[in-house]
Amino acid sequence: MSSLPEPRLETPRQQSAAGIRDRADPRLVLADRVNQLYNQLPVSIAATFVAGAIATVELWGQWLKELVLFWWALVLAFTVAATSLAIAYRRAADKVEEAAEWLRRLGIAAFANGASWGFAGAVFFRSLTDEQQVFLAFLFAGIASIGIPVYAASWPIFALYAAGILAPFAYVLATFGNRLFIEIALLVPVFYAVNVAIAWRLNQVFDSGYRLRHAYGRLTEDYSVLNQRLEKQLVELEEARRQVEASGRKLALFAERAPIAVLELDPQARVLEVNRAAEILFGYAAGELVDGHVKKLVHPEFHAEFDANWAKLISSREPQAGVRIRNPRRDGLDVVCEWTVTPLVNTEGRIVAVIAQGQDITRHLEAERLKKEFTSTLSHELRTPLTSIIGSLQLINSGVMGEVGKDVAELTAIAERNGQRLLDLINDILDIEKIESGKLTMNPEVFGLGELVREALVLNKAFGERFGVRFEANGPIAARPVHADRKRLLQVMTNLLSNATKFSPEGGVVEVTMEERGPSLRVGVHDRGPGIPENFRHRIFGRFAQADSTTARQKSGTGLGLAICKRLVELMQGRIGFEDRAGGGTTFWFELPRHVA
Amino acid sequence: MIAPGGQAVPERPLQRICYVEDDEDIQRIVRMSLERVGRMTVEIVGDPLKALDAMTAFKPDLVMLDWMMPGMDGPTLFREMKRRPETTSLPVVFITAKASPRELEELKAMGALGAISKPFAPKDLPEQLRELWKKYP
Repeated sequence: MSSLPEPRLETPRQQSAAGIRDRADPRLVLADRVNQLYNQLPVSIAATFVAGAIATVELWGQWLKELVLFWWALVLAFTVAATSLAIAYRRAADKVEEAAEWLRRLGIAAFANGASWGFAGAVFFRSLTDEQQVFLAFLFAGIASIGIPVYAASWPIFALYAAGILAPFAYVLATFGNRLFIEIALLVPVFYAVNVAIAWRLNQVFDSGYRLRHAYGRLTEDYSVLNQRLEKQLVELEEARRQVEASGRKLALFAERAPIAVLELDPQARVLEVNRAAEILFGYAAGELVDGHVKKLVHPEFHAEFDANWAKLISSREPQAGVRIRNPRRDGLDVVCEWTVTPLVNTEGRIVAVIAQGQDITRHLEAERLKKEFTSTLSHELRTPLTSIIGSLQLINSGVMGEVGKDVAELTAIAERNGQRLLDLINDILDIEKIESGKLTMNPEVFGLGELVREALVLNKAFGERFGVRFEANGPIAARPVHADRKRLLQVMTNLLSNATKFSPEGGVVEVTMEERGPSLRVGVHDRGPGIPENFRHRIFGRFAQADSTTARQKSGTGLGLAICKRLVELMQGRIGFEDRAGGGTTFWFELPRHVA
Repeated sequence: MIAPGGQAVPERPLQRICYVEDDEDIQRIVRMSLERVGRMTVEIVGDPLKALDAMTAFKPDLVMLDWMMPGMDGPTLFREMKRRPETTSLPVVFITAKASPRELEELKAMGALGAISKPFAPKDLPEQLRELWKKYP
């Protein structure tokens, strides 16, 4: 199941108007202010040009022609320079990054503009007639006042501009020598201060306006981002819901179509739901079970045990597996089921339901019983006649019944040998069966491994002689102690010796060695046989393993010997293996941990 | 395994054997083995229900019991023997094709001398019995 996206929800922080204004980007606010200043610049240019033209006309003839022309040249120069500046700004690529630079340029222009008027005042005022002086004074006041709306976006620029106009004018007034003019000169700074204050106030209003505009712009952006995110989360949530629904449906399908009985129970063990397999298994329709207690499906003799187990389940909230219960069916027959019971716990730790899955193991148990019975039959019913067969033949062959003819003796020897072979096979199958069902119990004791090896050599000597094979100890066979099952280890040794014998050439020698390897003792049985074929090596310790059936018949083995040896050695915490022997043949070895008292 | 020079041989050699076994073929083989190889005197009882009386009459040195028999199995018969004063002290060896090591341990704890598993080798059987007999006090 794919992991569900984790929904993250963010809410915008609570903001006051002031807080919102603070969110505006100061660079953008400045750029806006500069932009406004440049937008107003044409007004200033036009006013200067028109007023300049009027003043020039008014002064023409009254004053030195050159000085008036110079003044007119100043007006034109400002007009051209300011217009160029306005055009350059309009064409500028980056109005935001370079806003401060553009502001500085505008400041210079404004100051120059103001100063040119200041120059006019300083130069021309003294020589004019009274009427003309009044006209000029009003013109200057008007020009200065026009600067307020034009430069209001930056009050320092207005202050520079107005200072450029008024400072020289005030100076001329103060030094005119006329008392009235001195009084007016004293009023000029007041007028200046009032105008700058108005400009400053307007400046604040503009600034605040721009900041709000940018702040709201940014808020809108934030909201749109948030909206997009919310939309995405909604899509993810919808997807998650569909996945949950799909897995819910899948689970329901699994439960419904499962070949095992599935019951959903409440914490009081009442049935909430059952699947089809449960209906078939117990012979009840779902409606007959739902809302009833599940004990209806538990054999009365298990009721007390059921109650105890249920209480444990509810208190521990741990799932229980492999619970075997005899369950009565509707038809009165019993089935034995193996149950897995899982409490479903919600996030608050409360059990919301208990899921019980039951598998009918009645047949499985029957099969187990049959297998046991078969093993028992194999063990007893086959051994009893074999006892008679082998026993009779042995009595004949041992000669206690008197001499028999050579041919008869040969035949009874064959019969006894093959009876013995059949018995070996039965014993091997029983051994494997016992080992694999875990029923083989080891009776470990401490004994000398060397002693046991020597005993095995003595016990198997006769077998070797039958094949013309001699056993020989090579090197010291020391009595190092091991903790193992003596009888079973003797079985392992006998097996290895008999294998080595069967595959040795007649007249050959099977060598037996014993050595210490770290914490282990290794016993090796070395033959000069044909070696183990490559394609047989990987399954040599498997069941019914024989290199090929021809050899098997020839060598009369069951093919179980090495499989039994491997399992026995491993049950004694040892290892078994084989390797090619230098000069031909094979070495089979086993290792057991040396016993430390 | 063969006791050298008579030193270890008990004062009273094992002579009289009573064998309770329902299988007639095995009865015959055991009789031949013990009589011909072991030179012993043998009393065979086929019906375990008559075994106690037969033992009382025969007075064996040692009793061999088959494990699985119809009517009464070997272990039950062994317990019956323990209850009767005439048979309570007789040494018993079980001959069995099936017995778990634990069951054998239990019987040994109850006083059984030992067990010989089927199929046994008839030529070695007398020797095996004499070995067990040596352990009998």
